[in-house]
Amino acid sequence: MPNKLIDIKNISKSFDDNLVLDDLNLYIRENEFLTLLGPSGCGKTTLLRILGGFEKPDQGRILFQGKDITDLAPNKRQLNTVFQKYALFTHMTIAENIAFGLKIKKKSKSYIQDKIRYALKLVNLDGFENRYPDSLSGGQQQRIAIARAIVNEPKVLLLDEPLGALDLKLRQDMQYELIRLKNELGITFIYVTHDQEEALTMSDTIVVMNQGYIQQIGTPEDIYNEPQNAFVADFIGESNILPAIMVQDKLVQILGTNFPCVDTGFGKNEPVDAVIRPEDIDLVKPEDGIMEGVVTHLIFKGVHYEMEVTAHNFEWLVHSTDMFPVGTKVGIKVDPFDIQIMKKPESEDEEAAAADE
Amino acid sequence: MKKTLQKIYLALILILLYAPILTLVVLSFNASKTRSKWGGFTGEWYVALFQNESIMNALYTTLIIAFLSALFATILGTMAAIGLQATKKKLRSVFLTIANIPMLNAEIVTGISLMLLFLAFRMTLGFTTILLAHITFNIPYVMLSVLPKLKQTDIHTYEAAQDLGASPLYAFFKVVFPDILPGVLSGFLMAFTMSLDDFIITHFTKGPGVDTLSTKIYSEVRKGIKPEMYALSTLMFVTVLFLLVLINTAPPKKLTKEERQKQRKAVRISRTIFRKVVPAMLVIVIVAGGFFYNSKQNFANGSNRVIVYNWGEYLDPEAITMFEEETGIDVVYEEYETNEIMYPKVESGAIAYDVICPSDYMIQRMIDNDLLAKINFDNIPNIKNIGQTYMEQSRQFDANNEYSVPYCWGTVGILYNKKMVKEPIESWSVLWDEDYKDSILMQDSVRDAFGVTLKYLGYSLNSTDRDELYEAQELLIEQKPLVQAYVIDQVRDKMINNEAAIGVIYSGEAIYCQQENPDLEYVIPKEGSNIWIDSWVIPKNAQHKENAEKFINFLCRPDIALMNFEFITYSTPNTAARELIEDPAIRNSRIAFPDASELEGCETFKFLGDKNDRIYNELWRQVKSK
Repeated sequence: MPNKLIDIKNISKSFDDNLVLDDLNLYIRENEFLTLLGPSGCGKTTLLRILGGFEKPDQGRILFQGKDITDLAPNKRQLNTVFQKYALFTHMTIAENIAFGLKIKKKSKSYIQDKIRYALKLVNLDGFENRYPDSLSGGQQQRIAIARAIVNEPKVLLLDEPLGALDLKLRQDMQYELIRLKNELGITFIYVTHDQEEALTMSDTIVVMNQGYIQQIGTPEDIYNEPQNAFVADFIGESNILPAIMVQDKLVQILGTNFPCVDTGFGKNEPVDAVIRPEDIDLVKPEDGIMEGVVTHLIFKGVHYEMEVTAHNFEWLVHSTDMFPVGTKVGIKVDPFDIQIMKKPESEDEEAAAADE
Repeated sequence: MKKTLQKIYLALILILLYAPILTLVVLSFNASKTRSKWGGFTGEWYVALFQNESIMNALYTTLIIAFLSALFATILGTMAAIGLQATKKKLRSVFLTIANIPMLNAEIVTGISLMLLFLAFRMTLGFTTILLAHITFNIPYVMLSVLPKLKQTDIHTYEAAQDLGASPLYAFFKVVFPDILPGVLSGFLMAFTMSLDDFIITHFTKGPGVDTLSTKIYSEVRKGIKPEMYALSTLMFVTVLFLLVLINTAPPKKLTKEERQKQRKAVRISRTIFRKVVPAMLVIVIVAGGFFYNSKQNFANGSNRVIVYNWGEYLDPEAITMFEEETGIDVVYEEYETNEIMYPKVESGAIAYDVICPSDYMIQRMIDNDLLAKINFDNIPNIKNIGQTYMEQSRQFDANNEYSVPYCWGTVGILYNKKMVKEPIESWSVLWDEDYKDSILMQDSVRDAFGVTLKYLGYSLNSTDRDELYEAQELLIEQKPLVQAYVIDQVRDKMINNEAAIGVIYSGEAIYCQQENPDLEYVIPKEGSNIWIDSWVIPKNAQHKENAEKFINFLCRPDIALMNFEFITYSTPNTAARELIEDPAIRNSRIAFPDASELEGCETFKFLGDKNDRIYNELWRQVKSK
C-alpha cells in the first residue's frame, strides 16, 4: 500500500460564527483519485482551499510528505488547482496561459515550448496555442485549465468541481479524459464534486461529507452498497430508508413485517434504519411476497421502469425492468443481503445531517 | 409630432447649456476689445495668451499638479479600492460612504478644512499644499472608477496565478491589473480632469506666487475681462471636454468576441501608453516647466526675495522686472480682490507676506490689531517725493505716519453719460431721481453704498449713529427699484458700452472710461464723498523686511510711480511723478488731481470696529434682500 502523501489532522475552520469544518481528519495516499463528495455547504471546497493554501485553518495541521505545510503560501506548495470556473487569464493566449507557471520557474524557452505542445496534445487541443480563452468552448477551456496545471508537474492536482459548468455529454467525456490523464501522469487527484455519479465513476476513494463532518470514507462500491448512515444512503443514489427494529441477528422487522437479513451484532430489538435500494426490490405476485402493496405511480425511465408501491403506509421506490400498471396488487420481496442495516444516528450532528437532506 | 417636440425640447436644453460657452468661444475670436462689438475674426488673443509668461507659468503649474496629483491619487486610490474589495461587505460600504463624503462635501468646506489642516501642521502654503489637497480630493474619484472593475474581476484568476507559483505581487500585476486597467486609466483621467478644473480648493490652499490656470483667470478677471481670458477659458473648456469624452468612451461591460479582441488590443496599447508615453510626457512636462521656472527665476530659493501682496492689476509688471534686475531680489507676487479677502489671510499668519497694499480703514484695523511693523524710513529716502497733503491725509488712519507709505488715492463719485442726462450732475440726489429708473449703477459694497447715502443726507460716512444709519438704510431701500444693477467692476464696461446713464465709480476707473468713451463725465458731488488712500505696509511677521523697504522705496521713485500711474490710472500721491506726466490734459485732470476745494467735504473711511461692521453688514443685507 503506497504511503500517505497528505495527512490532514484535526482541521477546523469557521467563517464568522459558521463552523464549516470541525476537527476533520483524513489522509490521502500517493496516486490516489480521492473525491470529496457532499452537498453544497458541506465544507468540501473549504477543505480543498485549505489544501491549496487559499484559506488558513483555525486549528489543525496539514502534512505533505510528512512536512507541515499549514502556513506555506499557495505559490510555495507542490500542488496545483483546477478551478471551478477555469480562471483562465483572458488577456493571454492559450500558450501564455500554459506557460505562466513555467515562466515563473524560469524554465528555458525550448522546455516551455515542448511542455506547451505536450500538454495541449494531452488534452487533445493541439494547435490552439495562439487562440484566446474566450474563443474556446467551456469544455475546451476546462481542458486548458487542466493543461495549465499539469505542465508544472505537481505531486497533487486539486480539482474544484471542474465539470460543474459543462453539459451532460461533455461531462461524461471529460470524466473518462480525467481518468486517462490520471493514469498517464501518475499523480494524485483530489476531486471535489456534489455529483455522486461523477464520484462513483472516477474515484478510488470517496469521502462523503456533510456539515463539516466526514460521513463515510470508502471505495465507490462500499459507499454505494453499504452506506453507514441515512445521509450517505440518501445522498448516494436513490434508496428506501425505513425505520426498523432488529428483532434478532439476521432478522429485521420493517413496518411490522419481519425480513430476513444478513446483519448481525445489534442488540435485541434495537431500533435501526434499514436501507433498500430501489433496484433490489423484486415485485412478485401478491401471495409470493413478504409484504403486499399496490402500484400507485409508474414512469418509464429508459433502462427501467420507476414505480411507487404503497405498502403498509409507506411509499416504496422500485426500479424494475418488468412493468406493473398502476393499481396492480403486487408482492414485495427483498433478498437478505440486499438489506443494509444502519445504526440510528447517535450524535446530534449526525441527526442534523440526517434531517438536513 | 411627438418626436419633433422631443427633439425641439432637447435642442432647447442643449442651447441653454452651451450658449454661454459658445459666447465665450465666439468672443475669443473677436478682434474688438469690447464685448458689444464684433470687430472681425482674429487669432491674436491666442497668440497673446501664449506669449504671456505668467499665464504660461500657471499653465505649467496646472499641468504638473494635475499630472502628479492624478498619478498619486491613482496609486493610492487603486490600492484603497483593492483593500476595500477584500474587506467584508458591511465594512466596505461604511468605508465607501466615508470615502465619498469629501466628494459630496461643499468644495469650499473641503478647501477651508485643508487649509486649516496645513496651517495646523505649520506647513507653508504653496505648491506642495496644492498638490496634497488635489491628491486628497482625487482619491475618491479613482476608487469609484476602479471598484466596479475589481468587482467584475474573477478573484479565482488571482488565486490561480498564485497557485501556479506567482508571488501575490506578481500575480496582481500580471493577472489582476490588466483586468482593472481600464478602470485605473479612467480614474487617472477623471482625477486629472478634476484637478485641472478645480478652483475653490486651490484658491484656499495656494500660496503666494503659485497660480493654477483657474486661480490665474480669477485674479485676471477682477479688473475686467481681457480677451486673452476668453481664449484661455475656451482652451480649458476644450481640454476638459476632450478628457471627459475619453473617460466616457471607456468600453462597455458586455462585449462580443470581436470587441473583446479589440479591447485586448486597446489594453496592449494602453499598456504601452502607461509604460512609455506617460513617463515620456512626465519628463517633457517637468523639463519644459523647469526651463520656464529657471528663465523666470521666480522660484529661486534662498532668502533674497520679497513677497508682495497687492490688489489685482495694481502694479505694472514691467516695474517688477525692473526691480528684480536692479536689486537682484526676487519678487513673489500675489493678488487679492478686496481688503476683506486680504485681511484674514494676513491675520492667520499662513503666509508671511513682506509688503501689502491695504486701504485706509483696513490699515487702521491692522494697526489696531497689531499686525503691522513700523517702517524704517531711513531706508525709504524717496518718501520725499510723496506730497505732504497725502501724508497729512494718512494721519486719519496712521496717526504718526509710522506704518504706511501712500501709493494710490482717489475719490468716489458719479460717472455719467452726457448724452443720456438732461443737465450736468452735481449732487448725489440724482441717484434717487425717478427719471433715471433702470439706468443707475450702484456699488455692490456695504461701505460704499452707505457712504454715498450718508453723505447725501449730510452725515459723516463713518457714522455709527443708529438713527442716521436707519435713515440711510431707508433711502437705499427706496432707491432699489431705480437701480439697474449692484455691481463692482462692471460699472466700467457698462458705462463704456452705453448700457447705463449714471454709475457710482472710483475716480481711477473714471479716467479709463473717459478715454474709451468721451461722452462720459465724472463728478465729485457737492455734498462731499469718500477720499481713499491705498498705502504700502509691512506686516509684523514679514521675513524680508529690508527687501520690503527697498521695494517701497523703489515704488516711490518718480519714474516708477509714473509708470504705475499710467498702468493703473489711479491718482498718484507722488508729486514728483505728477510733474513728469507729459500730457497736460492728464497732468491737470480734475478727475485724477481734483482741486483742494473739491475735496472739502471728503472723508476717508475709518475702521468702525467689529460691532459696527456687523451692524452695517446686517443693514446692508436687509437692503439687498428686500
